[in-house]
Amino acid sequence: MSAAARSRLDPPQSAALAAFTAQWRARDLDPLHAWREQAMQRFLRLGLPTTRDESWRYTNLRRLTAVDFIAADASPDEAPPADAASTSGLPPGAVRIDLVNGYPQLRSYRPVAGLRLTSLRDLARNDPAALHTRLTALSDSEHQRWALLNAALFVDGLHLCIDAELATPLLLVHRTHGATPNTSAFPRILIDAAAGSRAIIIEQHVDTGPAATLCNSATQIAIAPGAQLEHYRVFAAGAAATNIDTLDIRLAANSRCKQFTVALGGALLRTNLEAHLDGAGAELDSFSLLVGHGPRHVDCVNVAGHHAPHTQSRQTARAIAGGTSRVIFNSKVVVDAGAAHAESQQSSRGLLLSSEAEIDTRPQLEIHTDEVKCAHGATTGRLDPNMLFYMLSRGIDRATAQSLLVYAFLADVLTGMSASETRAGVEAALIDQLPDSELLREFR
Amino acid sequence: MASGGSILLKIENLSARVAGKDILNGIDLQINAGEVHAIMGPNGSGKSTLAQVLAGREDYEVTGGRITFAGADLLAMKPEDRARAGLFLGFQYPVEIPGVNNVYLLKAALNAKRKAAGQPEVDAYEFLALIKQKMKFMEMSEAFLTRGVNEGFSGGEKKRNEILQMLVLEPKLAILDETDSGLDIDALKIVSKGVNSLRDANRAVVLVTHYQRLLDYIVPDQVHVLSGGRILKSGDKSLALELEKRGYDWVKASRVA
Repeated sequence: MSAAARSRLDPPQSAALAAFTAQWRARDLDPLHAWREQAMQRFLRLGLPTTRDESWRYTNLRRLTAVDFIAADASPDEAPPADAASTSGLPPGAVRIDLVNGYPQLRSYRPVAGLRLTSLRDLARNDPAALHTRLTALSDSEHQRWALLNAALFVDGLHLCIDAELATPLLLVHRTHGATPNTSAFPRILIDAAAGSRAIIIEQHVDTGPAATLCNSATQIAIAPGAQLEHYRVFAAGAAATNIDTLDIRLAANSRCKQFTVALGGALLRTNLEAHLDGAGAELDSFSLLVGHGPRHVDCVNVAGHHAPHTQSRQTARAIAGGTSRVIFNSKVVVDAGAAHAESQQSSRGLLLSSEAEIDTRPQLEIHTDEVKCAHGATTGRLDPNMLFYMLSRGIDRATAQSLLVYAFLADVLTGMSASETRAGVEAALIDQLPDSELLREFR
Repeated sequence: MASGGSILLKIENLSARVAGKDILNGIDLQINAGEVHAIMGPNGSGKSTLAQVLAGREDYEVTGGRITFAGADLLAMKPEDRARAGLFLGFQYPVEIPGVNNVYLLKAALNAKRKAAGQPEVDAYEFLALIKQKMKFMEMSEAFLTRGVNEGFSGGEKKRNEILQMLVLEPKLAILDETDSGLDIDALKIVSKGVNSLRDANRAVVLVTHYQRLLDYIVPDQVHVLSGGRILKSGDKSLALELEKRGYDWVKASRVA
């Protein structure tokens, strides 16, 4: 923590902090209260991040500090169903569970072989000790202050235990919705993948209209030895939505995680990924596909910690920025002293589509042992005029050629998606976001 | 020979500049339907610039003159409209476009041309049959169907792919910019076979080349020598043979003389 952050132990009470405190005080007591209180105190001591905080230097939250955030509706049954438009591009064939403001809608859920599923509200009621044990890990992470706020204020969420190989992807559709503007929601998802299990889980944040909302979500994933998990988080929220998401992944020996972060919508999006390669032979493939359009702000921070020997991490990011958007991708690899023979790759490429857009990428490496293989590369540029002219010279119009080149630029990430129907869904959602999507769809 | 057909391309006193440097300094050239013209000349003479200007490359600035293509003002047309009107440039260095499928691009190109001509889009199945037939003719492996545009192609494969595109698009005027460079003798024969198969009374071909070797396989009606951005000498195919023997300095000297 920097000296600047430390000096703010008694922060000036902004409207947003006051609102979060009021939400905290209005909560019902639950068995997690002592743990939550600790999280809330830590959050208030840290305050909202400013650009003086190292990991927030590119993202100014000043606009949020003046907002009087309203707690999300606790009776989400009244929320309107997601309309067809807002869920276009969701993968077909997946088992779908909707969460409105973090509250899972389980009435029409049919049990899936190999999956045990509980709402966090039920778990808190029936087995608070188990929930507490499962939750403790994240609250240690002080610099992830939004996860602390989520810990204090989440009301509901899902605990997924994957015991075997799931036959179909599992789709969690997040909607943030409120009768008044500035509704804030705090969904929390816990995923435990048992030894040897395999699953694909997609978390998708969909567009619920033009209202200003804040969704501060947190997902904790624990992958047991030998298990394989493919996890997606797709952000396609509305034009005034703020999404802050914290993803914590713990990988045991010889487990494998493919993680995709896809930024397609929202006004402001901040994603955090903290992956802990705890067991020997664990492997992480992280793919970030970040699309900046209009005035959008996308800030993606990934940290991969190698804590055991023979661990591997690969981080691939593709960012495009048009309009006046700003896209930030920071990735960091930390290799502990005990993580001999670790291997890491960081590849990030940015594509600027307008002169007013900005892309910042920063790969970082912190190595505390010898005998490691770590590579990184970062480039940002514009569409290649030679490629463009080649396509024009074949009779392809400029708009289509540009869209195709943008799409091709993102292909490295798309081809990493192993589930074809998942990929088709993400592709469709992505194409919707690209300039001249009609032309592109025609072409495909 | 088919010379004497209608005028397909007429270049009058064309001058052009690249990156602030004058490269073309008054080109006059007329190409009639049915003809094959070879443009030869030393490095830096402006051959490739002429090819790129004809295709409509924006960063090449036309500073004077006019070009008429099939009766239309070519310089007023966008590059994509030139292609749709039947002008094809075979690139000296075909561009690799990873992530854009080679066949999709070609299908989109064909459909863009058909749309401009008021024709319906090509049927996907018929297109695949057509392209497989043309690939076989160009002795290309079907593995190229699934690749990105020129992605991972060898130099020779890229040139064959250019000719494949030309055969599918059936242009009125094909400008082939050093299509022969970097080809071994077998590939040269295949490429020549492709070009010759397109020759008919309604089309014309412009071969930009350094070497007379190509002209053994694709016999030109006219040969032009370009130097310093001007056409110094024109003649029939014997001019190419004479150039091979005597070099470009001979043309420059004979012009001064």
